[in-house]
Amino acid sequence: MTSQALENLEAQLETFIENIRQIKIIVSDFQPQGQNVLNQKIQTVVSGLQEIDKLKSQVQDVHVPLEVFDYIDSGRNPQLYTKDCMEKAMNKNEAVRGKIDAYRRFRAHLMVELTSVFPAEMAKYRAIRGDERPMS
Amino acid sequence: MSEQFRKVEQYSPKSSPRGSRSPVVPRQDSTGTLKATISLGKNPSIVHTGPFYLIKEPPTESDLTGATNLMAHYGLEHSYNKSSGRKVRDTLSSFLPNLPGQIDSPGHLDNSSLRSVIEKPPIGGKELLPLSSMQLSGFRLHPGALPEQYRLMNQVPQKKKHKHKKHKHKPGDTPSHQESTTTSDVASSAEKKHKKQKRHDDDKERKKRKKEKKKKKQKHSPEHPSNSSHMDM
Repeated sequence: MTSQALENLEAQLETFIENIRQIKIIVSDFQPQGQNVLNQKIQTVVSGLQEIDKLKSQVQDVHVPLEVFDYIDSGRNPQLYTKDCMEKAMNKNEAVRGKIDAYRRFRAHLMVELTSVFPAEMAKYRAIRGDERPMS
Repeated sequence: MSEQFRKVEQYSPKSSPRGSRSPVVPRQDSTGTLKATISLGKNPSIVHTGPFYLIKEPPTESDLTGATNLMAHYGLEHSYNKSSGRKVRDTLSSFLPNLPGQIDSPGHLDNSSLRSVIEKPPIGGKELLPLSSMQLSGFRLHPGALPEQYRLMNQVPQKKKHKHKKHKHKPGDTPSHQESTTTSDVASSAEKKHKKQKRHDDDKERKKRKKEKKKKKQKHSPEHPSNSSHMDM
């Protein structure tokens, strides 16, 4: 439903932009016999805006990140934003996975060393924590 | 006053069923709480419930952590492979090839940025109505072509980048200086025409030189009739 609404909106916007382009051509080298055509085109602009206004209710659930607007304002492809987002997510996932792995290894190493130095205390500690968190 | 004293008596340790110990408070989240009890009274002391000082309960382990492949968990692996494998062009015009005009230029230069629409939203909410004949009369135009300064807006954006034209780049342009930019654009168009003429002249000269070289070569070649006559001699 949302994809269909977006397609409708895209088609309507393209038609509107094409109408504006035609007005630009008429105005760039205006002839008196083109006045009626120009008036019709202006009325088409108003009707186009009305159609776009009707479509806004169908796309109200579509949320666009503000960062995409920065890409568009600088003349960049917005698909690059999606690509950059996914790469950042992947890199962050890898970094956090590395941290978790490092902490797990540190805990295992610390347990081994503490057991060698304080065997009785570590036995008590494992007895307290043994059911909650197995030795990894 | 007596009611206040009665209220105090309700919460006094003497009336508490636990004696001098602190009242039992229902605890829902015991994460991070000390495994010890604090006793008040004549000999206040902290009673440790375990052999280790300041031992706390560990936080509950969650199923989803950073250790898992979150792309696979949320079913985005295919999308990621697709977006990373496909070559995406940098320009906006490659995403919207059907849009007319220059869309690759920054939006802040001609005050057409989306950020400005968000920061200063246009006044809306009014009903869109077709224009009446009186209102359309305001759109009666004079016949003829546009003035020179407005004609440049009709140009199709050139895809070929001219590396030698760096002197035209002006980073200090702002929307308030649009008039100066338009006049500079007029000047640049005049420069373009002048340079085109120069190139045309240069091409003509090159052609002349080539013709002269050819003539010289032909003169010096043995097949030339003048040379053959000399050779015979």
